[in-house]
Amino acid sequence: MSWLQAGNSSRCGEAGSFRRSRLAGEAFWLLALCLTVGIPDLLATQEENAPDFETHIFPLFEANCLSCHGASQPQGELDLTTRESTLQGGKSGPALVLGSPLESLLLEKLHSGAMPLGADRLSDDEIDLVRRWIEEGSRVEEGDTATVAAASADVVAGHETVTTILNVKCLLCHGRRYQEGGLDLQTRASLLKGGASGPAIVPGKPDESRLIQRIENSDMPPLKDQARLSVRAVTSSELERLRAWIAAGAPYDERKPEPVVASEDPLVGDSDRDFWSFRTPVRPPVPRVQGQNRVRTPIDAFLLEKLEAKGHTFSADAPPLTLLRRAYFDVTGLPPTPEAVQAYESTPEAYEKLVDDLLDSPGYGEHWGRRWLDASGYSDSEGQVSADAIRPNAWRYRDYVIRSLNTDKPYDRFLLEQIAGDELFDYKAAEELTSVQRDMLVATGFMRMGPDGTYSVSQAFVPERLEVVASQIEILSSSVMGITMACARCHDHKYDPIPQRDYYRFSAILRTAYDAYDWLSPSETPVGPEADWNDSNMRVLLGAPPEEVREVEEANAPVLREVEEIEQAFEEKANVLRGKLLQEKRAAIPELIREEVLAAEKTPVPERTPVQEYLVKRFQDQLQILPEELEKRFPSFQEVAKEKRDAVQKVKKRLKGNPRLRALFDMGGRPTAVHVLGRGQYQNPLEPVTPGIPSVLGVGLEPYRLEKPKWTTDTSGRRLALAKWLTQPRHPLTARVLVNRIWQYYFGSGLVKTVGNFGRTGSPPSHPALLDWMATEFVRSGWSMKALHRMILTSTAYRQSSRRNPGIDGDPDNRLLSYFPMRRLDADAVRDSILKVSGRLDPTPFGPPDPIEEKTDGEVVAKESKQGYRRSIYLMQRRSTPVTMLDTFDAPQLRPNCLVRNRSTVSSQALQLMNSETVRASSRFMAGRVIDTVGRDPEAQVKRVYLAALGRRPSVEELDWSKSTLADMTDEWKRDLDQDRSPEPREGRAQWLALGTFCHTLFNTAEFLYID
Amino acid sequence: MDNLTRMKNWTPNLRNSELPRRTFFSRVGDGLHGAALAYLLGRDLVSAKPAPDRTRERVYDLRPRQPDFEPKATSVIQFFMNGGPSHVDRFDPKPALDRYAGKPPGRDLASTIEFINEAGGFMPSPFKFKRRGRSGLQMSNMMPHLAEQVDDIAVIRSMFTTHFNHEPSIFLMQSGRPFSNRPSLGSWVVYGLGSENQNLPAYVVLDDPKGLPINHIQNWHSGWLPPVYQGTRVRAKGTPILNLKAKNEYPDPVRDLARSLQGRLDRRHRDQRPGQSELQARITNYELAARMQLAASDALDLSQEKTATLEMYGIGQEETDSYGRRCLMARRLVERGVRLVQLYIEGQIWDTHQNLEQMLTYACGKTDQPVAALLKDLKQRGLLDSTLLVWGGEFGRLPLSQSREGNLAGRDHGPAGFSVWLAGGGVKGGTVYGSTDEIGFRAVENRVSVHDLHATILHQLGLDHRELVMVREGRSERLTDEFPARVVKEILA
Repeated sequence: MSWLQAGNSSRCGEAGSFRRSRLAGEAFWLLALCLTVGIPDLLATQEENAPDFETHIFPLFEANCLSCHGASQPQGELDLTTRESTLQGGKSGPALVLGSPLESLLLEKLHSGAMPLGADRLSDDEIDLVRRWIEEGSRVEEGDTATVAAASADVVAGHETVTTILNVKCLLCHGRRYQEGGLDLQTRASLLKGGASGPAIVPGKPDESRLIQRIENSDMPPLKDQARLSVRAVTSSELERLRAWIAAGAPYDERKPEPVVASEDPLVGDSDRDFWSFRTPVRPPVPRVQGQNRVRTPIDAFLLEKLEAKGHTFSADAPPLTLLRRAYFDVTGLPPTPEAVQAYESTPEAYEKLVDDLLDSPGYGEHWGRRWLDASGYSDSEGQVSADAIRPNAWRYRDYVIRSLNTDKPYDRFLLEQIAGDELFDYKAAEELTSVQRDMLVATGFMRMGPDGTYSVSQAFVPERLEVVASQIEILSSSVMGITMACARCHDHKYDPIPQRDYYRFSAILRTAYDAYDWLSPSETPVGPEADWNDSNMRVLLGAPPEEVREVEEANAPVLREVEEIEQAFEEKANVLRGKLLQEKRAAIPELIREEVLAAEKTPVPERTPVQEYLVKRFQDQLQILPEELEKRFPSFQEVAKEKRDAVQKVKKRLKGNPRLRALFDMGGRPTAVHVLGRGQYQNPLEPVTPGIPSVLGVGLEPYRLEKPKWTTDTSGRRLALAKWLTQPRHPLTARVLVNRIWQYYFGSGLVKTVGNFGRTGSPPSHPALLDWMATEFVRSGWSMKALHRMILTSTAYRQSSRRNPGIDGDPDNRLLSYFPMRRLDADAVRDSILKVSGRLDPTPFGPPDPIEEKTDGEVVAKESKQGYRRSIYLMQRRSTPVTMLDTFDAPQLRPNCLVRNRSTVSSQALQLMNSETVRASSRFMAGRVIDTVGRDPEAQVKRVYLAALGRRPSVEELDWSKSTLADMTDEWKRDLDQDRSPEPREGRAQWLALGTFCHTLFNTAEFLYID
Repeated sequence: MDNLTRMKNWTPNLRNSELPRRTFFSRVGDGLHGAALAYLLGRDLVSAKPAPDRTRERVYDLRPRQPDFEPKATSVIQFFMNGGPSHVDRFDPKPALDRYAGKPPGRDLASTIEFINEAGGFMPSPFKFKRRGRSGLQMSNMMPHLAEQVDDIAVIRSMFTTHFNHEPSIFLMQSGRPFSNRPSLGSWVVYGLGSENQNLPAYVVLDDPKGLPINHIQNWHSGWLPPVYQGTRVRAKGTPILNLKAKNEYPDPVRDLARSLQGRLDRRHRDQRPGQSELQARITNYELAARMQLAASDALDLSQEKTATLEMYGIGQEETDSYGRRCLMARRLVERGVRLVQLYIEGQIWDTHQNLEQMLTYACGKTDQPVAALLKDLKQRGLLDSTLLVWGGEFGRLPLSQSREGNLAGRDHGPAGFSVWLAGGGVKGGTVYGSTDEIGFRAVENRVSVHDLHATILHQLGLDHRELVMVREGRSERLTDEFPARVVKEILA
């Protein structure tokens, strides 16, 4: 039986002379591959109805596939004329995995209808036939189907496959960072050289190769380390591949990856590069329009040109206070204070000054920083695993973003730092980091924000590691480049000219920092019983501000002392018993030589005679005590040891984590080779590739140019080259993508609606000339985001009223912007503005995130705090426990990132605003503030509430309704309080409660929630 | 109302007796808030299913939508048995294990084990298997109640998954990928079909009061589908839906005053802004929220049930009370037109790494009677035909012993082969489909992937898994993604 170990295997006999590990010997962890006896009764029944290639499959292929996939010059190098050629597969890897339809590309193509190309999808019955053939018709000839890689057993695996097996199973201990036993398995030469015990392979002689022997014996990878290092045993088919490869002389095709010149990729042609978004924008002239009086900025001219073509124009300017509230929310995410409203009422002509002031206020960086954090996938936890480990240092990146926006750091610099901050200076040579230098390292947190569950050793295998890298590529390509690179991970992009090779060339840029075969744990708080990581195994950098480090050291010192005391007290107890045990053990040494042995042990090692050496070695069991022996000999001691462990653990919980930088950094040294992965699976390495940028962007721009700096810091320069390439002024995407996204937040949707997809499946720009003008202007202004904001904010388009123009036909989605689109507040603004108008908003910026807690009813809220509450951007953002209020109002689940927030209108929002205790508490708070400010006059109260909550004065009618409702509410509250016989004061309390209910009512109105 | 009736008639496989029943419950709000209901169930009730159009935005709401073809089931109840219930001790007898008892596993089996250091030898099931019912379907003696309903269920013995750990496998089972970024099955279903009852959430999650399952609330998140399609946690105790009621409600007259003022202000705000349909939707939501308070309390009020019914579900008995309550709630919810109800189970009671016998006895004791009662109850009420039941976890267990030997031994995770069962909703009862190998390690015959299972569930609801599409950034996304997926027609009537 293939799943049983084969005890009588002849190969085991051959390996007998080799040392077996203790465990292996005991548990017969030998090998299984010799006896691949099927299950006769099961097989018999299956064989009867199993489809066979010639009778069933070939006719089907002949009718549908062979016109392209015939024997001569088959498309994609896939030849479907014979069973063998079908199994061999084509350019994208094996066409099928025997016994596993799920993993078979052929079936996927048939199912999705992607194949036959340009013809009807095959019928379900036909597809089912192929499926059954893959599933059943194969087993007869195939011994093992456990591994995905299994293509065709009789083909000697290329060294890529062998390298991948060694990379996955061995490289961690025999590779770039560690060479256990002096053995390095990175190259053929190093395999031949071997380690302390001789060469690892003998070409042509698998049975004499130590590599094979150690694996067959199950010595390697060591059983005891497998769980801890996220490595599993070599499977029988992998072993068979290694054997076959060595038997064939260990062929090692030394071909270097052919550097693909981005401009010459045969899969990408000139017509592909001619697509509008892949061409450098040319600054168009500002059009002349009829309504010059409405043109405040060139933006208006471009928009008016299209409106006028339809016989329309902008709406009238919005009333001053409407504009005030709009600008406040759009720039800072907060409403204007009553004082600001009153001041603006008297100087509405000072709008430009208002815009400048708002852009200079700290709220700008917080509000727009939030949007950049959406795009980067920012989170304070790792996600993916249930433990959802906290990222104790992620907040530094959040602060970096806010500070960068507030100082208007040019966008090209901003990107440069975030993509390659670690490659901008020789940080390992720096004695102590300056704050500017530290920022450059912290900035690379941008590349560390996707979900990363690999801190859990049972989820840190190669596929999960590759998934982390894939998330990062998705974040970078969607948010900065506006292309759907992720589509090319498993196959050539179906719509855009992005060959799969481009995806892997792009991923090679990250390989020197994120190496799936030499992985670093993401988290500063590893989990799992076996986890024993330290700084060198983690993707963190030292270099936190010294005062922070000192502070933590000082706080931890007494705790560590306490631990030491506990350990000491325990050691004292243990030593007594140890002495006792040692005496007992020594008694076992034959009396005749006991004195001599003890003397030998006392002699310092270098001075021992050979006899003494022998004695010490011979009686080492009697001379030393292994840790577990003590508990075995004195069972009562177990309890003591456990108590000590518990006590230490309890005390250690009070330790503060060491401040670190969550950064991405080049690991230096020799990175593993990057291959195109057939179907995106690591077991299926195809051609090797070098780092590079998408070919479609390879013409007319400065090329991607690698320069390895000569520094103390060993760094490849791969990401720096990318960042420089991306931020060149002529880049067709970088500026357009950002300008478009900023536009989206003002006008509800981008000029290109699909803000993360500027490709063929994206939507074309509604105003191509405007987009190009703004993009070129943005670069000309020195990539100043504030200048861009100012240009938009001061335009007529932005300042017009949100009332719909009657009679404009054919533009239901308001793409022409004949009026300002009314919008609901986003999640953060809902929560922040309720806190702000009720006077509970704590304006303190920066620092570690504020804790959250889950109430017994399941609502997740900010932990109660006497200082009030900080803005939502400063709340702990845990993937597993989103804050209810934010979640309800469409705060995104960042997996991995978000470029457009949903805007839903659902009843849970009503329930939240009506019934949540946090909203009600804020309402009462606000009522108290209002009373403190304007006293007990109901009219003054109503006016104040309107000013604070809605940024305007109530109309006569509204004032009437409000006053009478307030009076009725007061009466009802009084009646309610009267039912209580306690002597507590009623009148004032009823008034306060009624005003609170009134404030609560206004929080629930549409006007509070929507920006006109 | 005409459209509602049309929709009903459009599913002709439903028994007549059931039509008035569901219709009745989904109209519960009618007398109370007639006007609002008229709005909701009015001319737009059944919106035609639009072709995936990249330019027009779809309205994201829960109004009922046309399936792709005639559905067999209109509701789903999913018993999500998180933890990985052992198949070889319950639905998949493996007598061969007696022969191999104690022998160590080979290289390939060993390379798939999570706790590699704890693996022991092959271990036969401590439970006895027997043929049950007319169909003769084999089940172990762990589930005497379900054994009586065996002719209604179809067991798939050849499920398999791709990861040996809980989180990825649960993500895969919920969303089709082993990672946390995609919408769950339930979200896709209500995205595709909406709900027949606007007064209750469309996708209800009945989690165990003893604690959330692994992956927490991410189990029912809507990923990048709009949050309106997210599962709503309904609690068995206390306020059933978050913020359904205030902790300290205002006196009634005060609350009415507040509502009335808000209504006046909102209507005025809306009237001043013609053409902004979102504002009307928002006003409606407030009305819905108010109605939901009544509808949810009514739906979850088990005191309306007869004593015999409560007893049948094991309510009142310590062992079965908790799960029994949730099973009964599930029936009351689907009766009222809730589209999809998911039941979760406390902690990791199926995660039998040790004490296999004791743990399985507990887990089965807790769930067997309630599950069987729900099956029986639905059948008696004529609801089984239109309600699809799905029972299963994220993987099975290995045929090996783990941790220790003898009574204390358990079984480690077994992703390569496991069993699930389906019932009702057009499923052919008394069926066994597929098989694992001789030892129950790997699914070998008629293998069914998680995507196949998803496609089958959608199919019974009248949805083609290839057509249920969300266009995101220009890309068409599906529950089954680009994976080959096949409706398991062999288990369908």
